[in-house]
Amino acid sequence: MPRATNWMLVLRWFGNPWLQLGLNALIVTVSEIFLKLGARETANVTKQWNWTGVTGLLSVWTWLGIVCVILSLVSWLYILRKVPLSIAFPLSNVVHVLVPLASWLFLGELIGMKRWWGISLVLIGLIIVAKPVAKIEEKL
Amino acid sequence: MNLLPLFLILCSLVTFVTGQLLFKHAMETSHTGFDRHFAKFFVPAIACMTISFFLTLGLLQRFDLSYIYPFQGLSVIIVSVMGGVVLKEKLTLQLIIGALFISVGVILVSMS
Repeated sequence: MPRATNWMLVLRWFGNPWLQLGLNALIVTVSEIFLKLGARETANVTKQWNWTGVTGLLSVWTWLGIVCVILSLVSWLYILRKVPLSIAFPLSNVVHVLVPLASWLFLGELIGMKRWWGISLVLIGLIIVAKPVAKIEEKL
Repeated sequence: MNLLPLFLILCSLVTFVTGQLLFKHAMETSHTGFDRHFAKFFVPAIACMTISFFLTLGLLQRFDLSYIYPFQGLSVIIVSVMGGVVLKEKLTLQLIIGALFISVGVILVSMS
């Protein structure tokens, strides 16, 4: 009986749409890194079809990226059931902070001064959107 | 500057925003069951997202991830406003200001 209750608690905790929003951002970031690795590997495979991106499917990284995209889609659909799109979508843009940071850390891409400013503005915007939402949650 | 990449970026943006709106509407109808009405919005949503995905992949083969990806940041303000207009969600001033900050920040990131 207590075990069943524990599982219910874990499920309820995992089903929290705000937690899912955080997990979603992480999976999206990972998927973007994988897709870039796949695209990098297949950039010069053939001249034909080159604007459609299908040649990217020749790399394992791309497929790993696709798996992450599908996972993130499932969690995103779950979030959309619980949270308005006009709130969930801006918050999901925390990936625009996470992706440049991850590109910097894992892909060796450089971040200039302007880009750091952009990242800061995104963070400010996220706080502005998230603050009233956090207040509503507290009341509940 | 070559216009083709910009045009492809625009295409991936439009299909992306349309896909999001369709997804949200589909998930709202899903509360009453995964029926025909749900599929009518969910299938086109998947189609939009697939087109957007492959366009982005093609762009990624040519440009750095940290250059391509932020363009989708324009979608923040578009999706939020469309959420209010098309889906009749409640838009507060604070939400729009926040979304604008995020969009401007993302554009800054994309220009650097």
